[in-house]
Amino acid sequence: MDIIILALLLTAVVLVVRGVSRTWVVVTWLLALVLMLGLFRYHVTSPLDLSF
Amino acid sequence: MKSFPRLLFWAMHLWVLAYSAVMLGAFTIQFVGGEFPCPLCMLQRYGMILSTIGALWIIMQARRGELTAVRYAQGLGMGVLGAAAGALVSVRQILLHIKPGDPGYGEPVLGMHLYTWALITFYVVILFVAVVSMLAPVGIPEAPTRAGAQRTISTLIVGLFALVVAANVIAIIFLEGFAWVLPDDPTGYNLLDQLGL
Repeated sequence: MDIIILALLLTAVVLVVRGVSRTWVVVTWLLALVLMLGLFRYHVTSPLDLSF
Repeated sequence: MKSFPRLLFWAMHLWVLAYSAVMLGAFTIQFVGGEFPCPLCMLQRYGMILSTIGALWIIMQARRGELTAVRYAQGLGMGVLGAAAGALVSVRQILLHIKPGDPGYGEPVLGMHLYTWALITFYVVILFVAVVSMLAPVGIPEAPTRAGAQRTISTLIVGLFALVVAANVIAIIFLEGFAWVLPDDPTGYNLLDQLGL
């Protein structure tokens, strides 16, 4: 999953630099963000043993 | 305030350069210090890259003379969302190690762990975007019109960031190998182990 996220981020960078398509930049960027948040959710396996 | 748009243009480069330097620092700790990044550490790097793509978006459109107020706002929005996502991960990792006696993950740098520094950088980005958004009526970034040293410096900074992201892609291929996710506490390069090298 990390490889996919970083590949998407690199794609977004290349698209921004080459100025190919603003729509595709936003799509790849958003997809990377959603996958990142999903991966974060996957790694958060237990509630913190803290009380404030 | 004629020079303000030009100042903003270089401020966006400072954003790109600063996060490139932070990620190069993380590489130094990884390759020289032998500390492997944990899954949450990598997620914070993604937050930094997502955020910096916002600044890159603004720079490249300003260089092409296509930057409008709407596209400027889009770039700043990407910057804040990336920083907010990264901050979410930093806060989780700080809270994981907040109890007295917990040594934290990895060696501290200048008295604080890397995830604490990461949270500070995310807050700096959010504050920076808030300030430049409020100053938008004064001007939006404007690139130098002629080719010259300034354009070359801009190209070098953009190229450095692209190289850092590409290096992260190569590093994660070695770290993750054929697994779907990184182990919670990585101790080596999965790909080399899986290939028996």
